[in-house]
Amino acid sequence: MNSTTQSLSPAGATTANRDTGQSATSGLASTLARDEASDRSEPMKKSTSGVVAKDNPTKIAVSDLNFHYGNFQALKDISLDIVDNEVTAFIGPSGCGKSTLLRCFNRIFELYPGHRASGSIEMDGMNLLDKSVDLNVLRSKIGMVFQKPTPFPMSIYDNIAFGVRLYEKLKRHEMDARVEWSLRKAALWDEVKDKLRQNGSALSGGQQQRLCIARAVAVQPEVLLLDEPASALDPVATLKIEELVHELREEYTIVVVTHNMQQAARVAGYTAFFHLGEVVEYSDTDTLFTNPREKRTEDYITGRYG
Amino acid sequence: MTRYQKRKLINRFNMGASVATTLFGLFWLVWLLWTLIINGAGHIDLAVFTQPTPAPGNSGGLSNAIVGSLIVTGVGTLIGAPIGIFAGTYLAEYGRGHKIASVVRFFNDVLLSAPSIILGLFVYEIVVVSMGHFSALAGGIALSLIVIPLTLRITENMMRLVSDQMREAAAALGIPRWLVITRIVYRAALSGIITGVILGIARISGETAPLLFTALNNQFSSYDLFAPIANLPMVIFQYALSPYEDWHHLAWVGAFLITFAILALNILARVVLRPSKSG
Repeated sequence: MNSTTQSLSPAGATTANRDTGQSATSGLASTLARDEASDRSEPMKKSTSGVVAKDNPTKIAVSDLNFHYGNFQALKDISLDIVDNEVTAFIGPSGCGKSTLLRCFNRIFELYPGHRASGSIEMDGMNLLDKSVDLNVLRSKIGMVFQKPTPFPMSIYDNIAFGVRLYEKLKRHEMDARVEWSLRKAALWDEVKDKLRQNGSALSGGQQQRLCIARAVAVQPEVLLLDEPASALDPVATLKIEELVHELREEYTIVVVTHNMQQAARVAGYTAFFHLGEVVEYSDTDTLFTNPREKRTEDYITGRYG
Repeated sequence: MTRYQKRKLINRFNMGASVATTLFGLFWLVWLLWTLIINGAGHIDLAVFTQPTPAPGNSGGLSNAIVGSLIVTGVGTLIGAPIGIFAGTYLAEYGRGHKIASVVRFFNDVLLSAPSIILGLFVYEIVVVSMGHFSALAGGIALSLIVIPLTLRITENMMRLVSDQMREAAAALGIPRWLVITRIVYRAALSGIITGVILGIARISGETAPLLFTALNNQFSSYDLFAPIANLPMVIFQYALSPYEDWHHLAWVGAFLITFAILALNILARVVLRPSKSG
């Protein structure tokens, strides 16, 4: 239980002796999504499960983070490290604080009065919670995709170009190329290339969500935060989003919040289990799902509560 | 009788009562429009739009009153709509959870239900007395006091319909707040805000009481903002009470024009609002 007070670092000092039984558990973690993805990108074949970026450095270091919604404390002394170029999943029952932590990384919570975070979130040697940090620059480096698709009331093209124009002055053909590049990244190009001038809200739910991912990718952030990105989508669209996450991990540091444990097992190298505002357990995904240290984790992943 | 039969009977009774009350309301509206058509439409000719109001017994039209109404309504809208939209934007975007916002909202509701003649008297004291004479500008200011609370209310409501997820998604891209509001929230709420302004115009174009103390009236054509100006409601009021037959005809024509212009504006407002519902 006191695990939350010390810094949890799956890729740090403990990595050496965490030689996880990947081969034994690949059945759980390997997915249809990955099989389909593999014929598009070759390197995917080698790493079908578990941690692909074992030796990567820490990208974001959270230490002693507390968060309050008014008088309610939603996060209690959170300390954990997010690994560079890897997918990290946050799982846990509703109200456990997983989304709250995600919303601390880009300080989106500051849109609302009474939401306060204290402690430190370090990225590239800078405390993101510091008052001197320029929020708009921070958010251009840390992109976010939300639970519900939210296309802006403008064309598909402008949905993507809007954010880019704020930070880069591109010539017309460069912008065209950027829009195509990000739509390809989001696996949406083939479906929308002939209707870029149409309104974004005319797309289906799954397409809208991929448009939102393209929009986030287009400004070329370093980190992508995904807050239950597939929970409003049908299984086919979910599969596409998961494939996408799997491909994007090569270039971005991705943190995904999910209610769906299978999804965490499918896409994430590392998984953190949250309960009542604490990180109960944080390790590589295979270990967490097959050999959890904590009783609470085991109860949750076996469906005994939550 | 089974419970089910009883329920069906009650349903039939309520349905019948609903239809009856609807027909009752429509009956008066249709009667009113029909009376206007019978008495007004027949006297419409080119002179109505080209000649100013006549002396009794002479031929003439309503051109000065029509132009005057357009000017006063235009001034009222140009002053009132921006203030209402900006204040509505403040309440929807910046005022959340602030005490001052609920105070503003409360007094706006008071203003919304204030009798329009009180607004006219207020502007008379503030503008007409200090200028020393009645003027089109004073009339416009009085009408703007009616436009402000209407557009404020509708702007705030329409902007609140834009989901917070949209604002979060925009902010998460590093878009500054003023751009989120002007480029995204306004665009999403645009048809609703336009509808609010159109309804505001429809509302003030028939107002008489606020003009009584402010724009007054003018027998002649005038485009001067700082002079008294003719307007349809006042001409209708004056001519309908007169003993002259030809003035009565012009009053009917004026009433016909105003009523159907307002009807057209209301229909336009519904048409504008339609696409936002499906999109």
